[in-house]
Amino acid sequence: QVIPGHESRSVEALCWGAGGRLFGAGLSGEITEYDLGQLRASCSLDGGGGPIWSMAANSSGTQLAIGCEDGSVKLFQVVPGGIQFERNLDRRKGRVLCLSWHPSDTHIAAGSIDAFRVLDVCSGQTLQRIMVSYQVQKVKRECVVWSIAFLSCGTVVTSDSFGRVQFWDWERGTLVESHTVSTSAVLSLAVSEKEDSIVVGTSTGATYQFQLLPVKMGSLEKRWVRTKPFQHHTHDVRAVAHSSTALISGGLDAQLVIRPLMEKIQKKSYDAALRKFTFPHRRLVSCARKAHLLLFQFSQHLELWRLGSTDETGKDGEVLPLRRMPEHLLQLKSKGPEHIYCSCVSPCGGWVAYSTASRFHLYRLQYEGDGISIKKVPKAPKLLSPAYQLQFSSDSSSLFVASARGSVHVLQLLEPGGCRHLHTLRPPSGCSEAVYLLAPSADGHWLAAVSGDWVIHIYNLKCFKHHCTVPTYDCAVSALAIHPDTNNLVIAYSDQQLFEFSIPEKQYTAWSRTVQNCGLHKGWLERDSPITHITFNPKNPSHILLHDTYMFCVLDKSLPLPDDSALLLNQSTLKQLPESARQRQLHAFKICKKFQPLLFADLLDGNCLVVVERPIMDIKIQLPLPVQRKKFGT
Amino acid sequence: APRRKVAAAGERGPSSTLLSPASSEDEAPEELSFGVAKEAAETERKLVGEAARRHRELLKEKRRQRQELFAEQKVRPSPFESRRPRRAGSPPPPLTALSPAEAEAAPRGRAAGAGRRATAEVRGGGSKGNYTAVRLKDQSLTGLHQHLAKDFLNTQLYGPAANRVQANNFFSLENKKNPVTKAAVQFVDKSWGEYKKSK
Repeated sequence: QVIPGHESRSVEALCWGAGGRLFGAGLSGEITEYDLGQLRASCSLDGGGGPIWSMAANSSGTQLAIGCEDGSVKLFQVVPGGIQFERNLDRRKGRVLCLSWHPSDTHIAAGSIDAFRVLDVCSGQTLQRIMVSYQVQKVKRECVVWSIAFLSCGTVVTSDSFGRVQFWDWERGTLVESHTVSTSAVLSLAVSEKEDSIVVGTSTGATYQFQLLPVKMGSLEKRWVRTKPFQHHTHDVRAVAHSSTALISGGLDAQLVIRPLMEKIQKKSYDAALRKFTFPHRRLVSCARKAHLLLFQFSQHLELWRLGSTDETGKDGEVLPLRRMPEHLLQLKSKGPEHIYCSCVSPCGGWVAYSTASRFHLYRLQYEGDGISIKKVPKAPKLLSPAYQLQFSSDSSSLFVASARGSVHVLQLLEPGGCRHLHTLRPPSGCSEAVYLLAPSADGHWLAAVSGDWVIHIYNLKCFKHHCTVPTYDCAVSALAIHPDTNNLVIAYSDQQLFEFSIPEKQYTAWSRTVQNCGLHKGWLERDSPITHITFNPKNPSHILLHDTYMFCVLDKSLPLPDDSALLLNQSTLKQLPESARQRQLHAFKICKKFQPLLFADLLDGNCLVVVERPIMDIKIQLPLPVQRKKFGT
Repeated sequence: APRRKVAAAGERGPSSTLLSPASSEDEAPEELSFGVAKEAAETERKLVGEAARRHRELLKEKRRQRQELFAEQKVRPSPFESRRPRRAGSPPPPLTALSPAEAEAAPRGRAAGAGRRATAEVRGGGSKGNYTAVRLKDQSLTGLHQHLAKDFLNTQLYGPAANRVQANNFFSLENKKNPVTKAAVQFVDKSWGEYKKSK
């Protein structure tokens, strides 16, 4: 699930309040509550202390403390409908960069520059102020306390800009232990619930684990020891979290890494593998199949490209010369500070639609020779909630808009450039969550819609009635599509399972039952990223084309399914075998990992497959600078 | 000629040890081009200069707001208070979300506090004279605060002491060490390129 961003809303801190409510605060000085059902900001309140650097909830989630630019620590109450200012705690000079509540909610530790303080929550007084400076002759820099944690035993843990993680006895004002883990700043730290393990993130992209271990075998005295170093990131790690089984880190390199702790994992399984997430698991590229156009969605603009073409043919592995180069036809800038949430281009290329958190925009495109003209559709219906997904019908006559509370709006597109609201489809027994995936059938008869509660509803578009619901499965749907000939709905779930459901017959197909009985190959189930797009081959009805971030696959239903003993990635082996031997080893999954990371793959009309790669290096070069890393032999 | 050669060789020795840090004697000397170092130093100087300038601007702005407020207070007679219960600088009326209480304004001084709070736009008019109260948020004082905060973050993370390196250097090393070695990052062909038939 994604909550779209906003130009002026920097998020420096996030925390959960009572009742599963999500709050964020940032340099704009506001505390924002996010509506998780509608996936957008529901209300905002100015903190009153300038930019907010940190925010933490007490143990019951009923109070939020914020650390501000002006050096104040303020308390807010979480009330129904929003938050309410409660009072100021003692304010001192120096921006409060980090905050931590003591688990008993009686004290708050606040980190600043060259010092941290411990405040008594009841009286608001500063009970202790401890200097955290770096006493080395040549160095005259200030010491920034980037993160802080308050343990139940009364120890305060700080991490600072000199690469140190320090443990303090705040009542006595003494330093108990000091560990220098890096020459660069330690920007983030998180403590496990049992308070026996800490994870810290540094500017170099390295993360470290600290564990509370007995000094000697069987000894009661324990010390904090830096145990495991990790280098999963290339850029600063400004956010870390510690779950009961894993260390989680988020870097400026746009990667989220989940590193399971081996001693917490019972068996070698999916849960034991390192997981790295770089790309969103939702559609950012849409394709106008008939017009050979691609629409790329960025956070504040859209780009429309026409694909190149060639008249040549060649053999496997050759790169053919282009007769016409790809063309950047159009750049459409979104108005206002809100980020674009979803976008789509119609198959004929004549319409482009996009939506932000508050507004929906529709444009008509005209092609004259090599040129293109664009006109905004003036009276596009104002929707009460944002569009979470947009999908044009295959004949480009309607636009389906995924909306809140399980509903889908059907808009009719009118020539020469207008649209009107036809109908709103709603699930029969209501739904509190928004629809996030849509799949129309090629014949315009059916529409499948998946809402946040993971239920797939199928609607009959001829009479605008609910047709049926696919049997529930305990996993999120990552992609779905309706076969143009058979009207079978192919579903990919986030646990990598695949199902095929016949819409006319309202039941799973025989092939789907076979897949479930045989089980999918281990190599398929252990893939890192979910299937984000499913499409079909107009020339071969038994083909299903699917892709995730690191591979695309042509699934041939007419071939046997591989069992675990067979090699899943067998394409290169098959190529080397003689024709007769090949027949015996063929199986249904034809996987290609040549292009990665993949944002999109689709079949155009004809013999063409379009594949969109987004090289990670292209992204990393545009990021803020990384810290110099010394390597031997360079 | 031979003398010149010897002199040249001798020069190379001491200068390379000066460039590399004492701790990494096993490593090859670091080559730092003058241009890159100069650029880096200039950027740092600029960043710090910008931060200082903005800080001065903010103080100036605060002083100006305070002056304006005092001037306004002198001009306006107190009967206005009953008509318009709030003055610029005191807490805003409860909106859909509730705001910080009046206790806020006291320790910090009106003007500074006012800068961070949104006051509702109220129109006084009729017989008492025309004036409009304006949201001080729109006066970009909040923007200045945010700039200062961002400057702080930038200076701390990317300032002189941060030991940052250009992406070209950083990733070119990786490209060379990868199983499939690639060219240095800045030489990677970004254009659509020539499409050739491979043999």
